[in-house]
Amino acid sequence: MKFRVDRDVLADAVAWVARSLPSRPSLPVLAGMLIDARDGELLLSGFDYETSARVQVPAEVTSEGSALVSGRLLADISRSLPAQPVDLTADGGKVVVTCRSARFTVQTLPVEDYPELPEMPTASGIVKGDVFANAVSQVAVAAGRDDMLPVLTGVRIEIEGSAVTLAATDRYRLAVREFSWTPEKPDLSATALVPARVLADTAKAFASGSDVTIALAVPGSGTGEGLVGFAGISGGTMRRTTTRLLDGEFPKYRTLFPPEQQTVARVETAPLVESLKRVALVAERNTPIRLTLGDGQATLEAGSSDEAQASESIEAAIEGESLTIGFNPQYLLDGLGALEAPVAQFSFTQPTRPAVLTGLAAADAEPNTDYRYLLMPVRLQN
Amino acid sequence: MSEVSGVWADLVGQEPTVAVLRTAARAAAARLAAEAAKSAGEGAAPSQPAGRSGMTHAWLITGPPGSGRSNTARAFAAALQCERQGCGECTACRTSLAGTNPDVTLVRTEQLSLRVDEIRELVRKSAMSPVGRRWQVLVVEDADRLTEQAADALLKSLEEPADRTVWVLCAPTVEDAVPTIRSRCRLLVLRTPPTTAVAQVLQRRYAVSPDLAVFAARASQGHIGRARALATQEEVRARREQVLSVPSKLRDLAGCLTAAASLVELAAEEARAATAELDATEKAELERALGVTGSGGRGPRPRQLQAAQKELEDQQKVRAKRLQRDALDRALLDLVAFYRDVLVVALGASAELVNEELRDDIERRAHANRPELILRQIDAILACRDAIAANVAPLLAVESMTIALLEPTRR
Ligand SMILES: [Zn+2]
Repeated sequence: MKFRVDRDVLADAVAWVARSLPSRPSLPVLAGMLIDARDGELLLSGFDYETSARVQVPAEVTSEGSALVSGRLLADISRSLPAQPVDLTADGGKVVVTCRSARFTVQTLPVEDYPELPEMPTASGIVKGDVFANAVSQVAVAAGRDDMLPVLTGVRIEIEGSAVTLAATDRYRLAVREFSWTPEKPDLSATALVPARVLADTAKAFASGSDVTIALAVPGSGTGEGLVGFAGISGGTMRRTTTRLLDGEFPKYRTLFPPEQQTVARVETAPLVESLKRVALVAERNTPIRLTLGDGQATLEAGSSDEAQASESIEAAIEGESLTIGFNPQYLLDGLGALEAPVAQFSFTQPTRPAVLTGLAAADAEPNTDYRYLLMPVRLQN
Repeated sequence: MSEVSGVWADLVGQEPTVAVLRTAARAAAARLAAEAAKSAGEGAAPSQPAGRSGMTHAWLITGPPGSGRSNTARAFAAALQCERQGCGECTACRTSLAGTNPDVTLVRTEQLSLRVDEIRELVRKSAMSPVGRRWQVLVVEDADRLTEQAADALLKSLEEPADRTVWVLCAPTVEDAVPTIRSRCRLLVLRTPPTTAVAQVLQRRYAVSPDLAVFAARASQGHIGRARALATQEEVRARREQVLSVPSKLRDLAGCLTAAASLVELAAEEARAATAELDATEKAELERALGVTGSGGRGPRPRQLQAAQKELEDQQKVRAKRLQRDALDRALLDLVAFYRDVLVVALGASAELVNEELRDDIERRAHANRPELILRQIDAILACRDAIAANVAPLLAVESMTIALLEPTRR
């Protein structure tokens, strides 16, 4: 194996693949990055049995072949190289990296012990990278972080033709985002539960590219079941990644949204966030902030009577009955942040029932129901 | 009974368990086939009541040390991954047995307990779909070493299993597993394999002479790993011989103290012999995985190397300690077997002697001592094992044992 490759192209590609390598490999070969030089291109692969990553970059290949080397080390080396063409040569049990006057020798791992990367699932469709990244970030905020409740650490993906729904919940809040995409087959119907952390990282990695291909298994197809795949062109190189799905029953979330509403309040998001941050300063750990809506005002209060107290009011457009409700301040902040809208709309039924947040482009606009954030109230002590 | 082949071939003398696991593997395969047919739209899956009852998602394999708990678990894992339910030849079988199959996770500890974070990681994994198209098998080889916290973490996953995840837990006895865990698993009990079966495997696999095979099988008392070591390693046989020379050295107090010191040193030596090579291999593997070339060179060093090396060294230290304890325990069991042989002869029972080659000495003791004394000697050794298990300093415990073993007629 012998090839020459552009330094930046190599460093980017290696860094991207190295991201998914395990920091504590269960088998030594899993710390490896597979370098596969073929006709005019280079394939770099990493796999830790959960997530696989592969990138395809152009290279001047003088001799085809493959080698397995420590991925972290290759990442450290390629990052440190000067901006000059890089030559890689396999030589016995070593790979020699040269770039101008820099020369590194890296020991190889046994290629024959390296596992085969999983195949990409077959059913797929395309969405814009930034749309997808944005949707995922809005939903992932509500995903659970407790590995002992694995199902709640996932983002549920539901596909019905051209409609995609993402949902996540940690039992205290639920975020649901809908967007449309272009499926390869118009009648595609599929679901998947993807670990939220991996999904968020992946979506971010594809955000700058134009299109992302999302690939899911058609049940019973036998290929790629239990996996989700993503592919896209980023930094001029073709990248693909697969990750294992969570197995388990995601809560039936659609019925959690209350069918009717008693009180609807619209508040400008930015001032509300500012007030909330200030008032939350005096809220003791794990105690709620109190939100009162009435008389054209949203009032935030926190703190107990004998310790520090805070209270702020801002203007609000309120329809329906007045109401006082308690929220976990961080969860409320997360939701207001995820709306990404200048105006937030709160819909309530009762102080003991969940509230629903939606975003509006302006105070008199229609709420954008593509994104809904449902937040459980916290019982208030008198 | 059908001939035992493929991945089951080396599970010595465990025919009943093998039969249960083969049925389970077939039922599991039938379920996969039925699911595939169903989702491919070929109508409703044929009902498989018998097949379904053969397979379950959680197993507890118990059996005395060396009976092959972990080999049984691996063989079962291989049979679940294999298209032919354990042919022993395909990639799925080979990788499952070797512990390199993406869908087979083997957790064992060389520490004294399984940490809760290791189990949490396993529980996280257990919620995932398999990488391949069959099952994800999670094998916990030392379920007796689960901390209470770790057992709690595991319990949740056993209660709400993912569809394609199979747990296989191993422990010496069913009492070693936490009751709540035990009640959620299907129990399989391995027996101590018969001497003849062990001897046959030794001859077949390691081509040792029939005499040596029978000796090793007998001396190991059904512990397969120990039998293999005795059959294939001269120095293991030599160490055992030294252990069994201890009773003849217990003539006076000084002799007792010297013998105690030598027992502890023998165990340390055995642990060193077992770890030295392993330690070096692991260090080399780690460095290789992190890409360090040569030694002392000026090659690049990844940043996490030092931390990883430190962690490895710590683990190796703990392992050395555990191996030393295990080696000492084995020596004590050899001594128990010796005194039991004496008791067998003293009582005129016609059981097979473990230490047939020491028959002369055994008979002499059997005639010189009353059975009550011999029983007290056996108790003294068992008490020493308990003391060491309870963290009494090994030398102290062994000294008090050798003194208790002194026979009054020689005082
Ligand atoms: Zn097979």
